[in-house]
This record gives sequence, structure tokens and C-alpha cells, in this order.
Amino acid sequence: MKKKLALLMCLAMLATSVIGCSGGNGETTSGGETSAAGETTAAADGATGHKDTLIIGTDVDINNLDLQAQQDQINNIVLKNTHQALVWFTNEGEFEPGLATSWENVDDTHIKFTLRDDVYFNDGNKTPMTAEDVKFTLDMAMESVSAPNLAGFVSCTVDGDYEFTIETESYNNEFVQSLASQNLAIQSKKAYEDGVEDPYYIGTGPYKFDSWVQGEYCRLTKVEDYWGATTDQEVPDWAAPGVAETIDFKPYVEASSRVIALQAGEIDVCVNPPINELPFLEEDPNITVYEQAGSRLFYFAFNVTKEPWDNQTLRQAVACAIDRDSVLQAAVEGKGTLQTTILNRGLWGFYDDMEGFDYDVERAKELMAEAGYPDGGITTTLTYANSSPYESIATIIQANLAEIGITVTLSPCEDATLKSTCVNGDQELFLWRWNEDSKVDFVYRDLFYTGSGSNYHHYSDARADELTDLVATEKDPDKRLEYAQELQTYLVDACPQVPLYIANLVIAYNSNLQGQYFYGGGNHYWAHAYIAE
Amino acid sequence: MIKYIVKRLLQLIPVIIVTSFLIYWAMNLTSGDPALLIAGDKATPEMLEQIREEMGLNDPFLVRYGRYMLGMIQGDMGESYITGKDVFQTFMETLPNTLMLGGAAVLIAVIIALPLGIYTAIHQSTWKDNVGMVFALFGTAMPNFWLGLMLILLFSLKLGWFPSGGKAGFSSVVLPAVTVGYGLAALIMRTTRSSMLDVIRQDYMTTARAKGCSERQVIFRHGLKNALIPIITAIGMQISMIMTGSVLAETVFSWPGIGRLVNDSIARRDNEMVTGAIIMCSICMCLINLVVDLVYAFFDPRIKAQYAKKG
Repeated sequence: MKKKLALLMCLAMLATSVIGCSGGNGETTSGGETSAAGETTAAADGATGHKDTLIIGTDVDINNLDLQAQQDQINNIVLKNTHQALVWFTNEGEFEPGLATSWENVDDTHIKFTLRDDVYFNDGNKTPMTAEDVKFTLDMAMESVSAPNLAGFVSCTVDGDYEFTIETESYNNEFVQSLASQNLAIQSKKAYEDGVEDPYYIGTGPYKFDSWVQGEYCRLTKVEDYWGATTDQEVPDWAAPGVAETIDFKPYVEASSRVIALQAGEIDVCVNPPINELPFLEEDPNITVYEQAGSRLFYFAFNVTKEPWDNQTLRQAVACAIDRDSVLQAAVEGKGTLQTTILNRGLWGFYDDMEGFDYDVERAKELMAEAGYPDGGITTTLTYANSSPYESIATIIQANLAEIGITVTLSPCEDATLKSTCVNGDQELFLWRWNEDSKVDFVYRDLFYTGSGSNYHHYSDARADELTDLVATEKDPDKRLEYAQELQTYLVDACPQVPLYIANLVIAYNSNLQGQYFYGGGNHYWAHAYIAE
Repeated sequence: MIKYIVKRLLQLIPVIIVTSFLIYWAMNLTSGDPALLIAGDKATPEMLEQIREEMGLNDPFLVRYGRYMLGMIQGDMGESYITGKDVFQTFMETLPNTLMLGGAAVLIAVIIALPLGIYTAIHQSTWKDNVGMVFALFGTAMPNFWLGLMLILLFSLKLGWFPSGGKAGFSSVVLPAVTVGYGLAALIMRTTRSSMLDVIRQDYMTTARAKGCSERQVIFRHGLKNALIPIITAIGMQISMIMTGSVLAETVFSWPGIGRLVNDSIARRDNEMVTGAIIMCSICMCLINLVVDLVYAFFDPRIKAQYAKKG
């Protein structure tokens, strides 16, 4: 009897093990025929045979599609297809005319814009988009949580149907770039005035909202009479009509499920696939795993108002003690880039040639002695989000700092708790990330400027503030670049944070995907993507 | 009986008050500022303060709780901080998904557990009983998410019989229901077995056999009916648990249920959504318990008589 039972149990365990250990291979299918797709193309002109629906498996739930009331990247990715901004931000970090065809600085505080005159809203009535809509959108933004994206805005004056002037508090090199923010995409004044239900759904993009069931899917349908398809004027690539009839965004929050859904052909794109499952995906001939340099910077940081971390030399000692190669390997299996500076790679003025603080335990010990802690003896707490990759990073840093006599207690918590703790200045050491691929001011000012809400370091330095202002306002490009390099060098030396690595963008998709337009920071543009057949 | 039902429904009022107070209090104790989540990373301190003021987050706890309850009495459970959607509406949109998953899971569990529980009880201490117990042990011990992933790998990826996740028609409920249902089946099977073991030793079972009833009649008409009360209790408890307890299965299968809704809302400090959803869950659980009590009366005339007396 016992033998029979043991045999049965062994068979059961063997069966489950076989199922569990077998990964994706050539037997799996992911829908459609295999092709040599995968290269990024800006538009999809001349696309012939294609699947009607493109299904994108996202790693988080869409939670709010009211343009100016939401802040999450996933919402912006959806809204990019339905709403268009005055300025278009390319995936090479450049700015091009969007709905605004041109602009000029009238003086230091006034910028005059000209709009396209062939754009209309997808409201069924082809209501033209005019300067009144721009003024309405920007004024509304200033009353919403999107206001920080429009920092420095004073007013918008309508000069004609397709002309308007924006007044700013002072000259700022990056003000126009601000208008590329998805939150500031142009909305229909008429829709709000007419009392349309959910008026923020109405935009000018190549797709429009079909339905959204939270937690299940968000469906966009191609606009048949889209302005970009009917105009006689030249249409830039970014504004070309859509190809797929519908685009579905489906949240697959569990990473393994998302990967399996891609392998089973239930979704066409797997956003943010888990690094440890990439080998299985790479073996699958129907799936392409795409990787490029990213812009999301992960960093280790200090609350510089808390003793002993108000000691700059001590912070530098810690920076020298962190083995960032090991951090990169543990966090993303090496799929990233190490850097010395605090600026996100790819942003204007990126400068990485300062000396910095490479991994050097002997130098760290010397700096510890110089800082007044020759024997270490410091006990501190490292606060971080209880999710990947922070847990791996925290463990390595804990071990690194133990080598120079710093005992670190790990304190994982949820994102919401971490943010509150950092804003209140209750943390000592912390791990966080910053994803910026458009404006340098959103790095310098947001992270290091005195009194900034996201300056979790609570760093305050007159020279750093002055240089930040100079980078924002200096008109001479050479001088501005000098200021930018000086500021980065200054901040690296001041060491309120230790930049750990920039994570690569990794995305997996059906090999027949065409027309995709990827951004290193993850704000991809799907309006021209489709599955070729 | 009707009086009894009305009485039980009136008992919901203190349940709602106590539940809402406890949840509101617990959410108040947790750190995490909703204003920060609403305003995003670029928010200025002034903007955060303005949001807190507008949302009444600066008011004392009791003032906020009082305001919430006042709104609820008027049928307003508030709006989600994150989505801006009406809490009640969001809950009611999600509830059918949970009921569908829960219903299918319980159905699968009952179909497996009842015959198996009876069978193992009849064959107590034999190898058949042991196999049944191993089956139950697996169901109890196996983590939901692991079983879910194994089922997806086999039935979605390898065989292509069912979708791996999402909610798209009948076929999409099968795998999550089996995942949740297997765990439930194990518990119900054990309850059925022990309850049947109590019953089959009773004198009236011997009497039934002595009267010439077939073994099938003895087991199902005389045995099972008397053993059903603890089984119904176990099933009722499991249904209540499913309301919010299927988070892992819902996450693995991307099933948009209430467990996931509550879990995500807690992570986002969406106090209005959490409080509203848990109050609604409490009401649902009370109603499920009431239905279970009424089912007792259906199977046991003695209980029916008691209800009539209490009414």
C-alpha cells in the first residue's frame, strides 16, 4: 500500500515538475507568420495585410484617462494615441512642431505661436481646433495637478483663430518643451461648454476612445475621418493616420502571466518583461526581444538634513563603498549602463567626465577617517520600495557598507509610504528612481532645488540653485553648456545621491509587429503600430 | 421567517458602522499621503497642501469619518482619489466578475469535494481514503499562484485550450475557477468526510439498512442529508472568503475582481475606494451568511422551526 502511494505521489510531482520546467520553445506559436520585423519605423505608410487589432499587454492598470487629472505613464501612453500636443518630442530627444507649426520669442516673456489650420477634433462634428482651445486647455491645466508641467506660465492670449501668445514669468530655455507634455495635449473647449459626458476623451489624435473597463482593457478605435488623413497639407510622420482598426491595452500585472500571454499569442506586445524570463522569449522564433539604452535612472540617496549624512565627506565615502557593477548585475542582470553624473542619459547637456566616486573600498575608508569616522560605527536605516529591483539593490548596498563599518537596517515599504516618508524628511538613506527624457530642468530643479516637492534629499545649496537657474535662463548655448557641466560636477561632488545605473528599455513583442515607436523612458507611441500578416 | 430575515437585515446597520469605522481608522494609521499620489512626482509643497485642504485630509479623523458616514447615508460613497470614479459604481462593475469567478470555483469545488468526501468516508482507513486525503492535502498546501501558473503553462501555452488571462467569455473563467476551486474542494472534502464519518455510525443508519434500504439510499437519503449542515457552513464560509480572498488568482489570471480592486486601492492609499469596497464586501458577506442560514432551514426542519419561533 505504502509503495503504491509513494509511486502515485512521485508521478504527481514529476508531472508538475515537467510542466513547470518546460519553457517557451519553438513549439509555441504567437499568432501570425514569422517575419524579419522588429526594426523601429516611424510610420506605417503603405501597410497592407495586417491584423485588425493590436493588443498591448501592460504591466500596470490604467487608472485615469482624464488628461490633466492623471500622472501615470501608462495613462499617458494610452492618451498619446487620442490627443496631440502643441510640440512633438521625438524618441531621439529632439523637439519638433506638433499642432503648433512655429513659434518665436517676441521678447523674454512672450512667445508667439502659430497653429495648424487643418486640425479638427474627433467629436463627430469635425469641430476645428483653434487658439481658443489652446487657451482653454492651458488655463485649465494651471488649475489642475498638471500645473507643474507648465511652470512659469502666466497667461495665454488669443491673437487670431490660429495664433496665440503665451506670457511667461521669465525667459526659460525649456518652456516650449513643456508643451510636449501629454497632460497639456489640446482638448476641446466646445466639448466642455456643451456639457459632453467625459469631455476629456475628445482629442485630435488618430485614435479615439471606444471603451474602458478598469482592470480589463482599454480599447481605442481608428478615426476614419481623422484630420491627418483628409488634409491637403503635408502631414508629419507622428501625425499620420493609424493602421490597426483597434488598439487594446490589457493589463497583465503578473509578469509571468504577461510573458505566457505573449507566447500564447493572446497579446502582441509584452511591456516590461521580467529579465529572468528573457532567455525563454529569445528562444521563441515568433517573438522579438528588443533592447535599447533607457533613460530611467536608479539611485541611492541621502537625506542630507539628517546626521551624520549632513557630512559631505561621509557621503562621498559611502559612494566609494558601493559596488555598482554588482548592483547592476543583481538588479537587471547587467542590462543597463553605469554613470557618474546625476542627469538622465540622453538629456541635453549630459556630462559624465567628472572624477566621481568609483568603487574603491580603500578610498572609502580614507574618506571615512577624514569625515571623522575612522572606525565606522555608524548605524542607519535604508528605506526603499518593497518591489523589484530595489530589494536586490538594498541587499548589496547593505553588504557594501558593512565593509566600511556602517550597519544598515533595511526598511522596505510600499511606494506610497516611501514617498510620504521622504517628503516628510523622516528617512535617512533611500533608494529611488527618476525617469526624465525631455527637460533637464525636471531633473535639476525637481530633485535638487531648494524647497522642491520631490527633492527627497532635502538638499539646499545656493550655488546649485543659482546654476540651475542659469541653465534654465542662459541664452548663449556655449555658456549654458558650461553651466550645465559645472552644475553636474558640483552635484556629483556634493553627493546628495549616488547614481547607480540607467536601466535599459527591454520590450518583447510579436515578431510581425511593425510601425512601433519606442522611447527609452517607456512612453511609447503605438498609433502607427500593427501586426503584419 | 420573514421577520427573522428582516431582523437579520437590520443587523447590517451596526456591522456597517463598526466595519467602516475600523477600516477608516486603519487606513488613517497607515502612512502614505494620498495627495502625493494624486499630484505626482513634480508636485510643489503648495499644491500638495491645496489638495489636502480641498479633500479635507487636514481635518481630524473623526470629522472625516463623520463626513464620510453622512455621505453614505445619502447614498454617496465618494469618489476614488485615483480614478475619480464613483466608488459604489466601480464596486458594482467589479462585483459580477467576482461572483462569476466565485460561483464557478464553488461549483467546481462542490462537484469534486462532495462525492470524494462521501467516498473517502465510506472507505475510511483504506488506500482509497488515503489517496483522497493526499488529494486534499495537495489542495490545502499548494499555493494558489503556483497552481495557477502551472495550469496556464499546460492548458494555455502547451495545449491552447483556454486563454491565459483576462476576462473574455466563458473559457476565460475556467482556469482561475479551477485554481481557486481546488483549494476550496480540499477543505470542503475534508469537512464532508468528517461529517459523514460522524453520521454513518449513527443508529438511524443501521435502522435504515435493517429496513432494507439500498446502500445508496442509506448514504444519500439518510446520511448525507444529516451531514449537510457543517458542509453548507464550510461552503458558505468559502464563498465569503472568495469575495476578497482571491487576490493571487485574480492577479495571476489578470481577472478584474474585487480582491484585486481592494489590493490595488490599498497600495495607492485610495482610502475612499478601500473603505467603500470593504463596507460593500461586509454587506455581501452578511447576505451570504443569511442565505446559508436559510439554506439550513431548507435541509433541517428543526432549524426552520427555530427560525419561526425567533421570528
